[in-house]
Formats: sequence, structure tokens, C-alpha cells
Amino acid sequence: MSAEIDLRDVHLRFRVRQATRVSLKEYLVRGLFRRSANPPIDVHALRGITLRVHEGERLGIVGHNGAGKSTLLKVIAGIYPPTSGTRRVEGRICSLFDIMIGFEMEASGWDNIRFRSYLQGETRRTIRAKLAAIGEFSELGRFLDVPLKYYSAGMLVRLAFSVASATDPEVLLIDEALAAGDASFQVKARHRVTEMMRSARLMVLISHDMKAIGELCTSAVWLERGELKRVGRCEDVTRAYRSAMARPGAPVGAAA
Amino acid sequence: MPGQLATVWKFRHFWLSLAGMDLRVRYRRSVIGLGWSMLNPVVMTVVFCVAFASWLGNGDWRTAAPFYLAGLVVWDFIRHSAVQGSLTLLRNEPYIRQSPLPLAVYTLRTSLGAIVHFAFALVVVIAASAILNADHLTPFYSLWAVLPAAVLLAVFCWAVTAICAIANVFFHDTQHLTEVGFGICFFLTPIIYRKERLTERGLGFIAEINPVVPFLDTIRDPLLTGSPPAPMAFATAAGITVLAVAVAVAAFARFERRLIFHL
Repeated sequence: MSAEIDLRDVHLRFRVRQATRVSLKEYLVRGLFRRSANPPIDVHALRGITLRVHEGERLGIVGHNGAGKSTLLKVIAGIYPPTSGTRRVEGRICSLFDIMIGFEMEASGWDNIRFRSYLQGETRRTIRAKLAAIGEFSELGRFLDVPLKYYSAGMLVRLAFSVASATDPEVLLIDEALAAGDASFQVKARHRVTEMMRSARLMVLISHDMKAIGELCTSAVWLERGELKRVGRCEDVTRAYRSAMARPGAPVGAAA
Repeated sequence: MPGQLATVWKFRHFWLSLAGMDLRVRYRRSVIGLGWSMLNPVVMTVVFCVAFASWLGNGDWRTAAPFYLAGLVVWDFIRHSAVQGSLTLLRNEPYIRQSPLPLAVYTLRTSLGAIVHFAFALVVVIAASAILNADHLTPFYSLWAVLPAAVLLAVFCWAVTAICAIANVFFHDTQHLTEVGFGICFFLTPIIYRKERLTERGLGFIAEINPVVPFLDTIRDPLLTGSPPAPMAFATAAGITVLAVAVAVAAFARFERRLIFHL
């Protein structure tokens, strides 16, 4: 089975509130027709996205802040189900975004490596072989025996990245805003990501670096306010995007 | 649904290891460890024995203590499943944002912790009943009947966890309302008094509509009397369990896709 991403007319709508906690009072206030202090805001994050990425392709996504790039990546990863339209992704997905969440602070480094690996689909048997390699890559040494609540932010990044990059991805999804620890670890991390890009059958990369898009990707899309503004070769898309951003009054903010 | 079940099984190492960690961390620094989970029911049993010594008609403390303890243990299991259950999805929000696993996986993490506590508590109830009973073997005669009822209760409690977890995401007062609700229903459930007391006063319908009563009948009564539960009670408990599971599954089917946007 070949790796493939197939999105057809995908729309994503959701409601956000200023305060996430919806209380009984909130329901009563709405019922009494008073103006609520916590009204919902409707967000149409993705509008009619139709996209096909075939095996061997490397797709770059560019767009302004709040255009929906990360949202699109999450739809591809299967985390956000589309409100309408179809999503079909073939191949083992590896998501290198949002890796700094989901730590069990009371558990040790080794335990967290296990939990996160199990979340990625490893079993007790497969993790035995990889555990030592992941620990070594993180360079955390004896700290792996210590609960995560004693770690610094940089150490957490090392741990998270070491586990997230220990898979054999077929579909690789990367958000370039991937923090990667101190300078020496950043070099290591970049090498590892380059290796993964080479071995992955399909890649989607979000980046604000047009040069990186040009070097690493085979095609690109420009997302603006949830819509695909331009699809095609990297040079065309990045040139169009750059000239649009250079104009005054360039759009910022979500598709509200 | 079968696909989801297969995925839940495939990722069993994930939720099993997290449930194990929850148990280890909870009692890491305490001397009596898992015994803390028994402290509340045991203390309440002592209090009830002392406070209701003669006038509630439960007999002397040797008969009353196992009666209170068994009732409290079943009640605590259900209450813990509802109250802790309502926090499940909020607590596991980081994992939900990282990975498209079926959300039922997180309810299993919570349920497993509650089941381990219940299993431990049940052992203590059996031991207490054996020690205090005139015929020390009473509780052991009926274990063969109690265990299936305990399994039914565990499944029912999973369904309660799932329903409360989903409700709390949309309606954040669920956790507090459950606490208050259980506090009220404690007195409407024959835990500190026998079911017959309600019928005597013409309030038998309370026992009829209370879903906890069949579970008390199928677990507590056999342990105390040694005779198997009435088939009708077992059938009612099974029926309630099936209904609860159906509601939980339907709730997941209906709301799972939109839940992440409400976290």
C-alpha cells in the first residue's frame, strides 16, 4: 500500500469561547436572554480544502499566522476530524508538532519514554530494543531515572524530541516551529529530521523559511484564511506568497 | 465500533501503563500504601456501628459492620467512577491533542484504577465478614456468584465513567453536580439501612428505581448470608449494565468527533 494524503472539500468549523469553562450560570444567563459574558465565537478554520499528496512528494505549506496551517496539519494527522468533506491518509503517520505536551510529571524519564512510545504504537516487545537508543539520543544520562517535574524546559524538549523522532515514518508531518533545545542538540535534531525526511515516503512541512521550502519540498501550497490560495511548484507559490506579504495590509488572524 | 475496539486493544500498553503509574504515584509516599483507599469506608463503618448501635435495627456490630462495609465499598466504587470519571478527558487533554486514539482509551485508564481499588476493598470485606461472622466460611460459599456480579459492576462503572467524562467536557459543572448528587442519593440507597425499611414505610418504589440496589443485592447479600443472589436481582443488574454501556457507546458515537473542540 502506498503512502498518500487525500483531502476532498474539507471544511472545519468550531466554536471557541473566551473562557473554556462553561458553567450552569452560563446556560441560565443565555436562557434569560441577557448578553453572555462568555459568548461563543464561530471559527471557520478550513474552507473547502482539496489536496492530494502522492508517495514521494514533499509538500510545503506557507501562509500568514492564523491562516490554518497547523489546523490543516492536525486534520491530516487525524486529530481534528473535518466538519464536512473527506479525509483519507494511507501510511504510518509521524507527527513532529506539539511534542511539548503530554508529560507525566510524577513519572521518571524512562517511564515517560515508554508512555509516549506506546502512544505512538510501540508494544512492550518493540520498545525494549529502542529504549536504550532513545535514552542515548536524549543525552540525559542519569536524569532519566528522575521524575520529570525536576527537569528544565530544555531537558523536556530533548526527551520529547528523542521519542517523537524514534519512529520509522511513512507519512511525516512537521511544523517547523519545533523548538529543539540548546545549540548542540539543535544540530543533532536537524540531522535526525533530515534523515527522517529522506526515509519517509511522504512529507508535509510547515515553514516560514522560503529557502527551506525550496530546498526540501517538491511542491507547495499557500494557505490564506483557511483557503488554498495557490497550489503548485515551490518557486511559484513562495514568490506569490512573498509578494502578497510585502504589500501593506497583509492579512493576519484566523478565519473568524 | 469493531475497528475502535481493535484500536483500543492495540494500544493497550499505553492505557495499562498509565493506569499502573497512577496507582504507583498515588501511594508512593504513604506508609500504608493502598490501605489509604480503605481508610474511608472502614472509618465510616466504625462510625455507623457506634452511632446507629441499637436503634437502626441492623443487629449487633458483628453483623452490622460487614453490612455497612460491603455497602460502602460498592457505593464508593460507583461514586469514584463518576466523580473521577468526569475529569478523565480534561486530564488527558494533552494526549488527545497529540494522537487520534479513540477517546474510550482514556476512560479505561481511570476505570482500571478504580477497579484495582474495588478489588482490594472486596478482599478486605470478605476478610472482615469471615472474621466477624459466626460461620467463618459464609462469604466463601458464595464467591462463585459474587465474582460475576463484581464484573458486571465493573462494566457498569466504566459506562458511568464514560458518560460523566463526556458530559463534563460540554458542561463543566458535571463533576460538582455528581458529588452533590451522590451525597443526596447516599441516603436514598439502602447502605446504612436495610431495603425492607423503605418498603415498611411505603417508600419501596425508591428501591425499585434506584440502579445501585441490584448491585448491592447481588454483591452484599451473598457475602453476608452465603446464599447466591436472586436470579431476578442478577438479571436486573445485567440489564442496567447493558443499558449504561449502550448509552456510553452512543454518547461516544455522537460526540467523539466534536469533543476535541470543546477541550
